[in-house]
Parts: sequence; C-alpha cells; structure tokens
Amino acid sequence: MNTLLAVPVLVPLLGAAASLLMRRAPRLQQGVAVAALTAVVVDTVLLLRVTADGSVITSQAGAWEAPLGVTVVADPLSSLMLAVSAVVLLVVQLFAIGQDIAGLSRAMPQVFHPIYLVLTAGVCLCFLAGDLFNLFVGFEIMLTASYALITQAPTRARVRASMIYTVVSLTSSILFLTGIALIYGLTGTVNLADIAVKLGGAPEELRMVLALLFLVVFGIKAALVPMHFWLPDSYPVAITRISAIFAALLTKVAVYAIIRSQTLLFGRDDISAVLLCVAIATMLVGIFGALVQDDINRLMSFALVSHIGFMIFGLGLNSVAGLAAVVVYLVHHIVVQANLFLVNGLIRQYAGHSSLRAMRGLNTVSPVMSFYFFIPAMSLAGLPPLSGFVAKAALFQAGVGVGGWLVYTALAAGVATSLLTVMAVFRIWVRGFWGTPMPDMVEARERLKRGSHLAGLRFMAAMTGVMVAIGLVVAGAAGPLSEIAFIAGHDLMNGTAYIEAVLGEGAAR
Amino acid sequence: MSGDEPARAGPSPGRAAGEWGRADRSGAPPENWEAPRERWLSTAVRPAFGPRSVLLEVAARLLTPAILVFSVFLLVSGHDRPGGGFAGGLVASMAYVLRYIAGGRRELAAGIPMRPNGLLALGMLLVCGTAAAPLLAGHPMLEVYSYTAHHLPLFGEVKFASYLLFESGVFLIVVGLVLSVVAALGARMEAEEEEIRGRRRSGGAGAAKGERP
Repeated sequence: MNTLLAVPVLVPLLGAAASLLMRRAPRLQQGVAVAALTAVVVDTVLLLRVTADGSVITSQAGAWEAPLGVTVVADPLSSLMLAVSAVVLLVVQLFAIGQDIAGLSRAMPQVFHPIYLVLTAGVCLCFLAGDLFNLFVGFEIMLTASYALITQAPTRARVRASMIYTVVSLTSSILFLTGIALIYGLTGTVNLADIAVKLGGAPEELRMVLALLFLVVFGIKAALVPMHFWLPDSYPVAITRISAIFAALLTKVAVYAIIRSQTLLFGRDDISAVLLCVAIATMLVGIFGALVQDDINRLMSFALVSHIGFMIFGLGLNSVAGLAAVVVYLVHHIVVQANLFLVNGLIRQYAGHSSLRAMRGLNTVSPVMSFYFFIPAMSLAGLPPLSGFVAKAALFQAGVGVGGWLVYTALAAGVATSLLTVMAVFRIWVRGFWGTPMPDMVEARERLKRGSHLAGLRFMAAMTGVMVAIGLVVAGAAGPLSEIAFIAGHDLMNGTAYIEAVLGEGAAR
Repeated sequence: MSGDEPARAGPSPGRAAGEWGRADRSGAPPENWEAPRERWLSTAVRPAFGPRSVLLEVAARLLTPAILVFSVFLLVSGHDRPGGGFAGGLVASMAYVLRYIAGGRRELAAGIPMRPNGLLALGMLLVCGTAAAPLLAGHPMLEVYSYTAHHLPLFGEVKFASYLLFESGVFLIVVGLVLSVVAALGARMEAEEEEIRGRRRSGGAGAAKGERP
C-alpha cells in the first residue's frame, strides 16, 4: 500500500533528477523519462485495481498519524483519475519524443523532460493529497512546472501568454492559501477527513462562505465562467505537447479539487443552485466563444471551457448518479481533449499555422489525420457510439432523475451546447478539411515525405492514433467504467468510507 | 553559461605571459613553485555592475567562508531547532550572490562547485531517495530513522537522523535554484551585454545582428 501510493509522486521526481543529470545524452534522457512515466502508469493501474471495489487506501507519510501528519489517500475517484492522467501523460510524452526525433520542434528537449516529469509528480500529488495543504503543494508543483513549460520555444506571444497565466494562477494560489488559513483557524486542522468531521459543527453561514471561497479558488484554475478569460489567451499559444497536456489535465485537476472540496468538506445541497448557474453560464459562454474563433487551438480552448460546465452541472445535481456521470465525463474529456490538441499539432506540421482562414483540403493532404480528427471531434460533440455520448447520456439521465426547473434549464443548456459543439466542430471540418488543398500544404507534405522527418512524423501520427484508440476503449469499456464511477459517486456522496479510512473506524460520527 | 570558463587566478597558461611573468622579474617565486590555485577573489575581475569596490571585495573575501560555515550550522541544527535545509541553503546561496556582486560572473563560475543544474539534480535525488528509502523496508515514505550517540568524544551526545540527508537535499536544491536564478537573470544578461559590446567594437554589421529581437 505504502509503495503503491508513493510511486506516482516519487518516481517522476527521481526521473526528473536523473534526466536533469543526463542533459548531454538525449537518448538516455528520453529513456529515463519514458521509463519513469511507464512505472507511474503500471502503478496507477494497480492502484485502480485495488480501489475499484470502493475501498480507500491510505498511507501516513513519516508514520505520523492522520490529523497531524501528511496523509496520502487513494479512493476510486482519485485512482481512476491517476490512471487516466498517467496514460495520457505517457502518450503525449511519446508524441513529443517523436517530434523531437523528427526535428520538427523548437522546444529544448533537455529542458522539457525534467520539467514534464515534475509536472507529472504535481498532478499525481493533487489526486493523492489527503490534506488541504498538500493539495496546495501539489497545485504549486504542477503550476510551477507549467510556468516553465508554457514558455518553451519562446516567442513574443508565448511570453505574453505566460505572463497572463502566471499572474492569474498566482492570484488563485494566494486565495487558496487564504482559504487554508481560514479553515485552519476554524477547525485547527488541514487534514481533509478531519476538516470534514469538524466543519460539521461550524455555523452554516461560515461553511457557505468557505465553500464559495474554494469554489472561486478552484474555479479560477478550472476556468469557470466568469473566471475563464485567461485560458483561451494562454493555452493555445504554447507548443502542441504542452497545450495538449494543459488542456487535458490541468483544468481537470482543478475540477477534481472542486468535486473533492464541495462533496467531502462542505454542505451537501446548499451550494447546488450556485453550481448549476455557474455550469449554465460556463457551457453557453464557452461554446459561443468557440463558434466565432478562427484559430483551431483557440476554438478548442473555448470548447474546453464550455465542457468544464458539464462537469460542474453533474456536481450541482448533488446525486450519486450525477457524480458518477461527472467521473465518466472527466475520463472521456481528458482523453478527447488531449487527442484534439495532438491532432492540431499534426495539422500545424502541414499548414504551418492553425488559422482556419488560411486552411483548406486537409482531407486530401492527409486522410489518416482527418480520421484522427473526426473521431475525437465527434466524441466531443457527443455523437453515439463514442465516449462523449456515453458521458453526456449519463449526465442528462442523472439530471432528469433529479428534476426541478433549474436542473431542466441546465439540461436545456447542455443539449444546446452539445449541438453548438457539433456546429463548431463542423466549422473546422468544412473549412479546414474539405476543398482543394492549398498549394503550400501540398508542398509541405512533399517536403515532410522526402525529408528526414518521416520516421518521427509517423511516430507522432501513431501516438495520435493510440490516443484515438484510447478514446474508443473508453467508449467500449463504458460498462466497467460506469460501475467504478457509481462506486466513486457513492463514496463521494457518503464520505464515511474516506473519513474512516483516514481517521480510523467510527471517526465519521 | 557555456562561455563561462572559470577564470582561475592561479598560474594558468593565459596568465603566465601577463602578471605572473612580470612578477618573475621582480623576484617572485619561480614557475614551478606550488602557488595557491584558488583564491576567493582574483585581482583582475570586473564586478557585475558599477565600479569596482575594494571594500566590497575584501568584505566578500572575509565573509564568504563564515557564511558557508554558518549555513552548514543551520543545516545541521535544523532538526529540532530553528534552521534546516531551506534556511541553510538560502544563507549559503547568499555567499555566492555576494561573490557575484563583488566579482561578476566569472568569479561566480570559479567559485561554485558544480553547475546549478547538477546541484538541483543531486539535491532532488537526495530528497526523493531519502523519502523513498523506507518504502524498501515496507514503511511509509519519509519515515525518519535516528540514532543517538551518547558518549562521543569531544561532542558528547549527538543525534543522527536520516532527516539530515533529506535536509541536505533541500539545501542543495535551494543553492542550485538561487544560482540558476543568478545565472539566468544576472550572468546571462551580463554575458550577452558583453557580447554586444564586443560586436559593436568590432564593427557595425555584427552589432546590428546582435540587437535582433
């Protein structure tokens, strides 16, 4: 148990240290980085197997008992998120290595690999953190690594984007720290399970204020409307691998933190209405923003914002089915979002840019690539039989099960958002993929075919294909996935299993 | 930092023709004399900015060893008293920052034991290794083992804790980090400025290329 819980954090950090020492031997460095991430994947899959039946496992770092020491916890939700994140991180890393081999990237691989591994450790720590301060530390590790990653291959636009990103993230971190201080002042503890027990006796208004504060803190990081302005300005400008992993994981970590804090720590139903309103706004504003974008990456970033709204909608339903649907949605969205950004990276190789205005006939240039784009795009829009359909169907079903005018309004907004997503995706399809290819794209294809880039390019395409396959597997494994999701949802609504696993039997009143 | 070869004050071939040659004629020790290879600050340095300050240079020479020793004291005493790896690392890195301010980037490069990247990597290996070691015995990570020696000659009762290794890692990470910051924000810019100045002196064509955004 101890080892299973320690590996996702310690192995990437060790790998980062080792790869920092191997700056002069790029092949060795790549090997170490891949090995570290593979170890994390294996470990998290084992972790998922252990916790899939709803058991919660804990490890008390330094052997200090729970409310005092640093607790590391894995329950079905966190281990599912860990496993999916680890797989996506590995595939994106392989994509990046392919790109480096092809010599098609201006990023510095000797800098990229160590920081990427540190980012991995931060993401894993966020999912495993059993106390609020450790969650903060996880966020900081992740964000500090991302500050460095976003300016890889620096250009004027990237430096500008990183300024926005850094300032916004730091603001939310300061609020986070303030929130932790307030919680500590109120309860005298930072352990999540302990807070959950002690907050039960706190005044109702105080709990509401704290819940809202934490919603704002994580909402900034998750890019909920009206705190989303930074995301479409910063994510799309980074290089492909970085924007893929940022879009897939960083916002989802924040969504995970919202789910964890709003279910475990704070009142069960007093904040539902707020969450539903935020969800409606996020879905609609995000997708309307996406409809008017010209740059594919920006379009996808707005679509990302809008689909965060779906997850908040599920959380706002405040039912086991709703939370289960959110869990499925998280898994689906991590894979699909990473996939779409990887395809955009491939498109950039042919077109040299990602502006729809100057793009035509990608279908003819590379049929495989259009296939790789079509599947996740349709999945994002929620067409059957892809994973997006499964997730959305579960979400809407849970919504109908709860009822009420606000929920029905949110449902209507969700359906509208799905339709508008189809429209946004078809805009890319019609403008970018149809028609006679632009001469410079054909030229680029010939150049890539003849040049020494071919092997690396094929590897990149293969990794994108692997990501497509993972998306299909998510759809195919919808049965077992929703089983785990329901167990996770039940655990989240109940909270007893988590609290007792951390603090011991009978701690949860 | 690739251009920063440590400028040693000792009898390197480049310098033999200069001051050492002159020193020979004035009755200084012969070439094969075992001269000290390292100095705290060489006499032929340009500071990072501003005019040379003898006061600062002398102060840096005097203070650097004391600061480093104090930082190790903080590191060792940090287990159950104020101090620790983070504080110690900050203090130690201040010694190097002082050296940089007094003597410029070449002095800094001559003074640091290894590149900041290496320090960071070594520190991280120590930290993660110490955190992971108890796992091998089936214990939770970060567990501390300690051993108290009661009758050590000269020192008396001394407590050794595995925590010290962890803290040493933190110490190295902090020093490495501060040095990277100095390298990125100070030494790198200084080197670029020097390069541009050199180009300007050598001709207009190079200077125009150097000011490319």
